[in-house]
Amino acid sequence: MKCDLCEEKATVFYTQIADGKLKKFVLCETCAQEKGITNPDGLLMAEQVLDHTLSVPETEVVLGSSTECSVCGFGIGNYQKVGRLGCPECYDALAREISERIPTLHKGGAHVGYIPAGLVATQARDAKLNDLKSRLSKAIDAENYEEAGRLRDELEKVTPVVAEEPVTESEL
Amino acid sequence: MMRFKTLLKHPADWMTGHTAETSVVVTSRVRLARNIRNAPFPGWARKNQRRELLESLHGRLEALPEMKSGFSHELSSLDSLQKQVLVERHLISREQAARNEGSATVVNRKQTLSLMVNEEDHLRIQAIRPSLQLREAYHLAHKVDRALEKDLPYAFHPKWGYLTACPTNLGTGMRASSMLHLPGLVLSDQIGQVLKGIAKLGLAVRGLYGEGTESLGNLYQISNQSTLGESEEDILARLSKVIGDVARYESQAREKLMTDDPLMVQDHIGRAAGILTYARIIASKEALTHLSMLRLGADLGVMPEELVETCDRLFMETQPAHLQWDAGSKLEPDARDIMRAQMIRDQLRSALPPAIDISGSKH
Repeated sequence: MKCDLCEEKATVFYTQIADGKLKKFVLCETCAQEKGITNPDGLLMAEQVLDHTLSVPETEVVLGSSTECSVCGFGIGNYQKVGRLGCPECYDALAREISERIPTLHKGGAHVGYIPAGLVATQARDAKLNDLKSRLSKAIDAENYEEAGRLRDELEKVTPVVAEEPVTESEL
Repeated sequence: MMRFKTLLKHPADWMTGHTAETSVVVTSRVRLARNIRNAPFPGWARKNQRRELLESLHGRLEALPEMKSGFSHELSSLDSLQKQVLVERHLISREQAARNEGSATVVNRKQTLSLMVNEEDHLRIQAIRPSLQLREAYHLAHKVDRALEKDLPYAFHPKWGYLTACPTNLGTGMRASSMLHLPGLVLSDQIGQVLKGIAKLGLAVRGLYGEGTESLGNLYQISNQSTLGESEEDILARLSKVIGDVARYESQAREKLMTDDPLMVQDHIGRAAGILTYARIIASKEALTHLSMLRLGADLGVMPEELVETCDRLFMETQPAHLQWDAGSKLEPDARDIMRAQMIRDQLRSALPPAIDISGSKH
């Protein structure tokens, strides 16, 4: 499929809902970059788009399935041929195809088991950060400045921390 | 670092120390597939990208305390014979043997741990233990994995777990397998039924050298198929249970054969001993078949017990690459068959001395 704006191969698929109307368009990597949404990582992209929604509230971007990974250029056609992917990031680009295949390959659809320790620590820290942030804004709303001050101090303590030793470890 | 020659001189840790437990389940292996974020998988990466990744990993792997005075080589520095020897030892995969630049292998001194860089995945951590010790093998691999994850940005997806080149390894990235010697089930014609049962449980059965290889010497590998949706602990528990069950069926089959038809079993063992002690030319497949019977004889107490270890060693050392390494030169199949027969006779001599010398010379 060709990019709607140029002759390049489309790798980014958008669904835009504006004024109650659904509009779909496909872009190549260069044009997508020019449009300001460039991160190929699905999760990060969603976050970035959320930030954008602050200024463009009617636009919703849905990650579609592309025919090529924008990180390594691996095409879905190759996957069907060789049964392997190009890079870890292909899993986001080819999410739909992979999701469809998983039930034929595995017992379940989601990971159960060991999680790298650093990741556990990061996740725990992020959860704590979010919790503190929401409590802080509630405290401010309630004009509870003493509590807000305490929470702010706590937030400062948590924020610069680099992932520490694992919080939990799944041991056999 | 250990030289290739030294590596081969020493039998792997799991090859020695035969016990009642290894009479059916010979070895247990666990391998973990790991990849680095934002780097193309080896099969898709350019040569310089593979080399870069190897450079970023190699030093860390060699520096692991477990790998102290181990064996570490880039695949490009090994010739095809050396690579084949490592495959026969199960230290690298056939897939990795086909690779050259940007691929490396690090093996610990005891040959219980091997790390493969840029095989199908960026990193594969493999541990081997004797008998049914899948959990112990996992612990060995897991320990290395945990040491490495501190510095390495592993590709890990919140839903799909460890991201791997092939979606068949997603999730835990763990493949656990045991090698079983099942002559009793083969002789009693129950093997087909047992293999079918294993497949029904969602487990895979393969031959001696993994995927797509035929069963030789009545050796079978049983492994987990699914890696996503089940924890490491659950996979290992399920697999250990099935392997334990199969080992029990094998023991029962052997007992029943010895009760119902001892003559048939003795005939197989006796013929195997005869051929192996007197053959002058023997192909790999035939050798494995008879070595399997001899091992059974030793397990049943019909043959000297020390033969179990001898057979296990010969299973490996009579393989083509090991034979050629031993001979110090490339050998054509015909020459290998002669060498193989000689090696077997030499190693069996102390336990099974031939009654007459048919060659007229000392050997």
